[in-house]
Amino acid sequence: MTRTSLSLTRRTLLASLAVMALPARRSVALETGTPVQGGTLIYLEQQPHTQLYPPAGGFYPNSGVLNQITDKLTWQNPDTLEIEPWIAERWEVSDDLRQYTFHIRPGVTFSDGTPLDASAVAQNFDSFGLGNPDRNFRPSEVVNNYDRSEVLDPLTVRFHFKQPSPGFLQGTSVIGSGLVAPATLARSFDELGDATLVVGSGPFVAASQTTGTELILRVREDYAWGPKELPHQGRALLDEVRILIVLEDSVRIGALLSGQADVVRQIQAYDEPQISAAGFNLYAPPTRGINNSVVFRPDNPLVADVRVRRALLHGTDTAEIVATLFSGNYPRATSILSSQAQGYVDLSAKLAHDPELAASLLDEAGWALGPDGLRQKDGTALVLTAYESLPQPQNRAALQLIAQQWARLGVTLNVLPGDAGSATVDNLDPAKTPVSPAMVGRADPDVIKSQYYPANRNVLLQKGGVSQEVDSFVDDHLNGLLEGIASEIDPAKRLALVAEAQEYVVDQAYAIPIFEEPQVFASAPHVHDVAFEAVGRPSFYRTWKSA
Amino acid sequence: MTTIVLHRLGQAVLVLWAAFTLSFLLVQMMPGDAVLIRFLDPNMGMTPEDIARIRAFYGSDQPVVQQYVFTAWSFLRGDFGYSVQSGVPVWDEIALNLPPTLTLAGLAVLVAGALAVVLAWAATLSPFGWLRHALGALPAVMISLPVFWIGIMLVQVVSFRLGWVSVIAPGPWERLVLPVLTLALPIAAPLARVLLSSIERIERQAFVTVARAKGLSRQATLWRHVLGNAALPVLAVGGLLLGELVAGAVVTETVFGMNGLGRLAERSVRTQDIAVLQAIVVISALGFVLVNLAVDLVSIVLDPRIRRTREALA
Repeated sequence: MTRTSLSLTRRTLLASLAVMALPARRSVALETGTPVQGGTLIYLEQQPHTQLYPPAGGFYPNSGVLNQITDKLTWQNPDTLEIEPWIAERWEVSDDLRQYTFHIRPGVTFSDGTPLDASAVAQNFDSFGLGNPDRNFRPSEVVNNYDRSEVLDPLTVRFHFKQPSPGFLQGTSVIGSGLVAPATLARSFDELGDATLVVGSGPFVAASQTTGTELILRVREDYAWGPKELPHQGRALLDEVRILIVLEDSVRIGALLSGQADVVRQIQAYDEPQISAAGFNLYAPPTRGINNSVVFRPDNPLVADVRVRRALLHGTDTAEIVATLFSGNYPRATSILSSQAQGYVDLSAKLAHDPELAASLLDEAGWALGPDGLRQKDGTALVLTAYESLPQPQNRAALQLIAQQWARLGVTLNVLPGDAGSATVDNLDPAKTPVSPAMVGRADPDVIKSQYYPANRNVLLQKGGVSQEVDSFVDDHLNGLLEGIASEIDPAKRLALVAEAQEYVVDQAYAIPIFEEPQVFASAPHVHDVAFEAVGRPSFYRTWKSA
Repeated sequence: MTTIVLHRLGQAVLVLWAAFTLSFLLVQMMPGDAVLIRFLDPNMGMTPEDIARIRAFYGSDQPVVQQYVFTAWSFLRGDFGYSVQSGVPVWDEIALNLPPTLTLAGLAVLVAGALAVVLAWAATLSPFGWLRHALGALPAVMISLPVFWIGIMLVQVVSFRLGWVSVIAPGPWERLVLPVLTLALPIAAPLARVLLSSIERIERQAFVTVARAKGLSRQATLWRHVLGNAALPVLAVGGLLLGELVAGAVVTETVFGMNGLGRLAERSVRTQDIAVLQAIVVISALGFVLVNLAVDLVSIVLDPRIRRTREALA
């Protein structure tokens, strides 16, 4: 029916953009110092939002909306990563980290007029902590060991935990803990695809949406409860934010450069020079979580031997990947954790590119170089497979470069397209995908548990997760460390566990960290004060236009 | 005449059934399903029991034959079921996405028809030989251009460089200019080519010579005698171009970020949203059948020869 397959079309579009490089009209920048109130900001997103139940806010298009329409109990200062007051004026934490008491700022209301009080907060966290199967709400990955809430008075709420929950305070500041009105919690997960049904207390309100193409956010005139530490207080400066979905990279960038848009998300590294050359602003806030990595599924016998995994780790030249495909906004990884994450340990010595060591490790593991230049053992060739991850920047190109590097060792890596119909199912089967790309952002050590723990994202595919295809692989030592991180009371001990987990994952070569993934945005010169929360979600609360 | 119509209606039902069945079988053969794709996201942290429950809700745990019979029966009653991806009734999705695609496609067909006539006209009547040749070669060039390339070039040049129309937050009519052109150009090309060759062929026929001999100008002969006759093959080709139109809409709607059936089709293929996909296939097949039925009937009205042959055969 179609002349070309759709994925091919997208790829060719990108190529044709690179070839064309038409000079676009430039809009005039008026640099002034005093913020101006009013105006509409046109924000181009790459993908439409899905369901806006706050714990599903990790998906960037969702967080771009939720960060404008919801407030959080606490505010994580993106510069210091300290937890500061927001909707909670102050809080007390019990010594065993099993009770958290929050005192709510008086006078805060949701946009439907209902009060944001202790009872509303309690309802939110009951839902985030326990989930609600009747409404298809899943428990939030940032709320661990939750037991129950207790409303002490109209403005005081206490949360009880079954075990210590050291990550909870930071967990109240993340995008997935946006507070919504009880009316929103009474809806089902599927209904929350309609942003206008998501009632928050944020500086903007979702006014209308055309599903899949457009969402209009309007300022809340009576907003008076932004984080106290911010220089700007009161209502947001913009009157309106129009979020428009433009799938094609070339159209988003062209629209920005020709003055038809103000802010765009998702700029690929090869497009960055075009933006800077035109005098536009580039932002590359870090995601501070687990670095963009390639992980192994040791349940697959081909990669069950730690020597094979270590050989592939040392056979990967991350410097070449970063230099070839990315820009200075993508620092080379020196651990599985981002260098801007809490508890980060520099492990670059253990991650060195060393093809000779790699070759000898493979020899040692019994994978001998055959006459065709490919490694073999008992008649089996060392052939691995990975699916490209669509949301990760230039992931297919990165995997293909890794495949070339591994080919020099005599190891074959087949890279399959991420939009293949079989991708989702095969990615849960270690026999079919011994290798997989993986990353996740969150500015708290709990992020390590989110990534590797079987009941969470389970990127290594251990037994006990959602996949039914795993035979036997479980690493109790790793899981013990992860459980410790999620429940250790003593902050110093907790960071020690974080360090141990990083070393352990690298020593076992479960993951090959490649680069620290930023979120790259661009804005027109007349747009000022676009802010980002701790893991790179945009906030337009203080943003203003000088044109 | 009635026999012909009945015969064609029978064929139409057969085509619809085949389209429904084939699309059902093809989607079943793909690994995985919509429930897996949507709910096995580790972010959702679902247990296998949760997924089994959802699967039971959508009926996708039943044997294939049972699903087929159930789906076919629902379709007959006009019930297209629920979209797994968005959780709303498929009808709602169709109601939202069909009108913009119909507007886009309808306008594109009109523009394409007008373009084809203008092109054929200019190529036939142009006073210069080189211009006639150049115009005559244009359709072949236009056919070779991929839709997405035309779209992206139009956006880059007309909107970003010249600033004539806005593609970001445009007005209701401004919004349609570039997409309609994008879709119309590749459809106009085959129409113009068929029209051109058809004009050439008919101009050589005896009745045209007679008309000219009676003193009619070439232009008048073209209008009064040639065009009507030359339109028949164009109409037949036009009916077949609907497929091109559907395929073009997928790409056009994606490039311009518009809502429409094409983009919905792309999304439902990607997420294996069978219910939506089947509704789109059946609606497209219905459109195809209706358009070709209309083309046949109009041909019969336009050309008495077809009527006589068909009646003789029937």
